[in-house]
Amino acid sequence: MMDTARQRLQEADGLAAVLDAAYEAFEGMLSVIHPVQDPASSLFAAFVMAAASAADGRNAVALAPSLPRHPLLAVPAEQQPWSGEPPERVAEMVAGLSHLVAERLTQAAAWSPDTGDQAACRHAAQSARDVCGLLSTGP
Amino acid sequence: MTTRPAFGDFLTAARDHASAAVAGHQADRSGEHVQEITDSLLHVITVMGRYLHDITAVPGGMRSRASPPLTPWGQARLTARDALTHAARHLQEHTWRTRAPGVAARSELARRLDAAAAALTAGRDLLHTHLARDLRGARQFRSEWGLVVCSPAVGRALLAELAWLAHQIAPPCLDVARSAGSPDTASAQRGLRAACGRLQVLSGSVQAAHRADPVSVADRDLLLAIPLNVRLPRPLLDGSEPVSSLYDAVITSAERARHAAWATGAQPAWSPHLTADSLRHVAATSTVTSHHCEILLRSLAARTADTGTAGLSARLLRAADAAGRACAGWLNLARALNQVDTDTMRHLAPTAGEAADLALCTGRLAYADAAWTLSSGPGHQPRPPQDLVPQPGDVPLALAAAHHACDAMTSQAYAQRERIRTAASAGRLLVPTRSLPDTMDIPRPFAPALPDHVYALLRLCQDTAEAAAEASAQAGEAAVAIRAPSRHLTAARAAARAGRGASTNSRRPAGPEPAVTDHPREDAGAVQAALHRLGVSSPDLLQRAADIDQAGAQLIIEAAGRTSDSHAPSDPRTASRPHQPASGYQHEPPEAEH
Repeated sequence: MMDTARQRLQEADGLAAVLDAAYEAFEGMLSVIHPVQDPASSLFAAFVMAAASAADGRNAVALAPSLPRHPLLAVPAEQQPWSGEPPERVAEMVAGLSHLVAERLTQAAAWSPDTGDQAACRHAAQSARDVCGLLSTGP
Repeated sequence: MTTRPAFGDFLTAARDHASAAVAGHQADRSGEHVQEITDSLLHVITVMGRYLHDITAVPGGMRSRASPPLTPWGQARLTARDALTHAARHLQEHTWRTRAPGVAARSELARRLDAAAAALTAGRDLLHTHLARDLRGARQFRSEWGLVVCSPAVGRALLAELAWLAHQIAPPCLDVARSAGSPDTASAQRGLRAACGRLQVLSGSVQAAHRADPVSVADRDLLLAIPLNVRLPRPLLDGSEPVSSLYDAVITSAERARHAAWATGAQPAWSPHLTADSLRHVAATSTVTSHHCEILLRSLAARTADTGTAGLSARLLRAADAAGRACAGWLNLARALNQVDTDTMRHLAPTAGEAADLALCTGRLAYADAAWTLSSGPGHQPRPPQDLVPQPGDVPLALAAAHHACDAMTSQAYAQRERIRTAASAGRLLVPTRSLPDTMDIPRPFAPALPDHVYALLRLCQDTAEAAAEASAQAGEAAVAIRAPSRHLTAARAAARAGRGASTNSRRPAGPEPAVTDHPREDAGAVQAALHRLGVSSPDLLQRAADIDQAGAQLIIEAAGRTSDSHAPSDPRTASRPHQPASGYQHEPPEAEH
């Protein structure tokens, strides 16, 4: 799922496609973070806070006037289950994806002529940066 | 340590002055100072009378109905009030009130009485910082301590203290009244003697009540622990704090979080603070805090395993287990809240900041990493038990920190439930339409949350609150066992619950829901509460009432969900009281003044 989301973000062309891919990326983050929110993990607090930020980001994108009302592309069913990965690996993947989301949304905010889209992109990009900051293990 | 003045500070001062009056009154036996002693005793009696008025307020609705038989304490209150009234009359006939304010009396006894009166006045002012009156004169609470201040348990403890003071100050004043005086002072001495007799009546009636139904040590401790209602400064941590400072930081941030929860538990539906972002962040940070509570309690259990206090370690382990369940509850709630939004976004209420502060402070205490933050990555290890409690004497304060945090989590969970209920009833709880089935073609980015979703959220809040309350109760039992400073928290919840019950029995509408120290209405809607007020105890009738309440709440939520234009109510007054007509869960009119 992370790979698919990353690919869609990278290939998204135009504001609507970027918003659609970002929305699905945030949803994807939530779906992979929730199963690894284990209190026994040293990443527990980071995952809990990251999920809240991902939800903030998704809801910010949902307010963008240019977001298509329905997903442009359904995620292939065989890629939806995404489990079994260790929490550290999940954190790494989600951090990478959120970094990309932040980049694309920041770019989209600059392109967009609509102030509503600009605000939504900026807010969602900030949420993506929050997720990235929470789950990045590097300095 | 950041501490607030407490009622005990002033009561202790008054007791000290009363004791000193007994010890040092020999010089006043001549009767030379009878006039200024009369003035000073009247001062004390006036203040005591105001206390009595506070705790013997008879609900107006009871006057026209048959009163229930008086309890020993009820009888003592009335006797005490009458005694003080008569004592004041005896003294007023002879008082000159010639001493200007700030001018010290010449006699030691009068000076001590003046000082005791001043301390009592300051103590009463402190209690009243938790109470207020609205424009109609009806009582309102200004803090989570309001119900405690008005509770029967605190009233009894207060009356017992007043009786002790009366018992102390009456003999030296009586000595002055009986001493050889001049013809000029004879009348004043008679008045003083009569007043002292009334004080002895007061003391005797309270002692009789105490013999029949003793005031517990816990209730007295609770009275003494009532703090000044003032906002504590936010704890700022730089990573260099010793562990003892972290105990204080946790306690302070827990008290701030508890007060914020109380304040927001009754916020109106139109409040800009009522946002999904806030709900989500409170749930997320509370998940983390509950996890920290579990770590702290397990560490404390390990540290106290061989202290010799019977059952302490096992009790702490039970508290840790309950904190773990609360953590799981908060996590489920956080996940559910990740699926919703509100019509106001990108705004975090102060309560979210307080919850985050508590997570940070508990994390600094729970982990070995002195610089731990919510955004710290993996690799942080729990603080070893020996570091958490360097000396055995630190156990009470360490436990108090964990107990305060658990208690704040309980308050947050109940307040969270009220926030969600308020938002849902106003149609402000939304879900992204992209998350709905394709068959629901809604031309807007968000739609009202479905009733099933709302009920699931409320159920999660309830489950979480119950688990948090259990953790707090278990930690409270441990606190009582070792006389930790937080032991009054358990008594405070019990007292507030009793205070709520007394209010309900008085046929008056209850005050605003205290989201912190008492949540008795969580199981009773308006109809059920009405039956309680009527004295109905039949399980069948109460169950039917509960069913009606539940159906009413369901109807409101469904109606709100169908009303697409209800997101911005045109009348803020009606919007602020979404439940009042049918369920009255939270925004009932405050208590009427009798």
